[in-house]
Amino acid sequence: MTSKYGDGASSDATLVDRLLHKDVGAFEELYDRHSRIVYALVVRILQQAPTAEEVVQDVFLQLWRNAAQYQAARGPFVPWLLTLARNRALDHLRLKSEKQRRREDQTEELPAISQAPEYEKALDERRRAERVRTLIGTLSAPQKKAIEMAYFEGLSHSEIANALQEPLGTVKSWIRNGLLRLKEGLQTAS
Amino acid sequence: MSEQDQFRELIEAYALGALDASERTALEAHLAAGCPECTKALEEARWLVSHLAYLAPPAEPSEFLKARLMRTVRAEEGVARRPAARSSGPSIPYWLWAGVAALLFLSIYSTWDARKLQKEVQDVNARAAAELEKREQLEQELTEAKHEAWILTDPSTKKIDIMPSDKEMPKLEAMWHPELGIYITGQKMPMPKGNKVLQLWLIPKAPGGKPMPSHTFWPDANGKIGEMVDDPPEVMAQTKALAITEEPAGGSPQPTSTPMWVGGVS
Repeated sequence: MTSKYGDGASSDATLVDRLLHKDVGAFEELYDRHSRIVYALVVRILQQAPTAEEVVQDVFLQLWRNAAQYQAARGPFVPWLLTLARNRALDHLRLKSEKQRRREDQTEELPAISQAPEYEKALDERRRAERVRTLIGTLSAPQKKAIEMAYFEGLSHSEIANALQEPLGTVKSWIRNGLLRLKEGLQTAS
Repeated sequence: MSEQDQFRELIEAYALGALDASERTALEAHLAAGCPECTKALEEARWLVSHLAYLAPPAEPSEFLKARLMRTVRAEEGVARRPAARSSGPSIPYWLWAGVAALLFLSIYSTWDARKLQKEVQDVNARAAAELEKREQLEQELTEAKHEAWILTDPSTKKIDIMPSDKEMPKLEAMWHPELGIYITGQKMPMPKGNKVLQLWLIPKAPGGKPMPSHTFWPDANGKIGEMVDDPPEVMAQTKALAITEEPAGGSPQPTSTPMWVGGVS
């Protein structure tokens, strides 16, 4: 099987497996591959570069120290890493007390992420990013805004409805329909 | 719409974290009940939601972040590997272990053997000491026997009969040699009563002279006496008689009782 990082490149799962043996080279490779998207996500949520770097550092250190938390059998690596980074950033955003921030040092078992659907395997990361932006770009501005408020700001349906001064049902439909369109778009891309 | 369909419609929003508390609680209870369809849908929804990260404007962390991370990771890698390196390092060759084991065995054997030898030496020394003591005793007995024999056989020896004051008591005999001393013998002697001993006195010829104290002795279990006095306090020519009294243990400087045996010297 040819890796999405080119012939001869190790898969993410293989690199994570090497992390279990404290392979610094594997860690550096994973950082080089995924630090940009992780940082972009975190700085988008926190809106502050220094704080974002702090959170990204914690995310990768957690990966280094607790690589066993990732189980390849439960889903692909990148969604797992992005979910971890988003949770950390939202925690940082919501919970200001030092005590709550210490949670970052605790081991946490992230929820299972689906085995990659067949269409996921057909897209490499760059193409997938472009596809996501294109698909979301087709949504209405309020619909896109509602999804972004939920994802990047961690707001609930009610909070978004209040912020946008829109009916709750409308916000629910915007978000659900927008995600279904994204799903369909990723499927057709395969 | 069925209840299952209602829950199914909440899955994407739940994965996004957008459900309000009441809906979230209800869905979590449904998931906890083990609905396989919703569980599978949730896993797929989480994968889908993670793609929203690509909506974030492109941004790149500073080189300082990577430098900090790598410094930390390398430091922790060193700590994590050090014990393993220690255990996986060059091992001690088996022949060296065998040598150490042989030396240890030899050391233990040598210690055991040395202690055994020391014990044997101590036994031999003890036996030798006993033999030496026995020999010295025999030599002493031999010397005494020769001494006695010399006194008994030498022509210059004077025989003195020491007669009992009580006629029921046996007679004693003294053989006095001018240079070798006095040898007193007797048979069927009764053991002094109480804590008393027999003591020999030399009665001087000089008028008013006090009895000269000499040896104390007592018969053996068979009532036999063989007492050698090789350093008599007086010369034979100046001694009028020999006397024997019963005295307290240790003897007395002067007689405390009347003589039980008396024998004239000259």
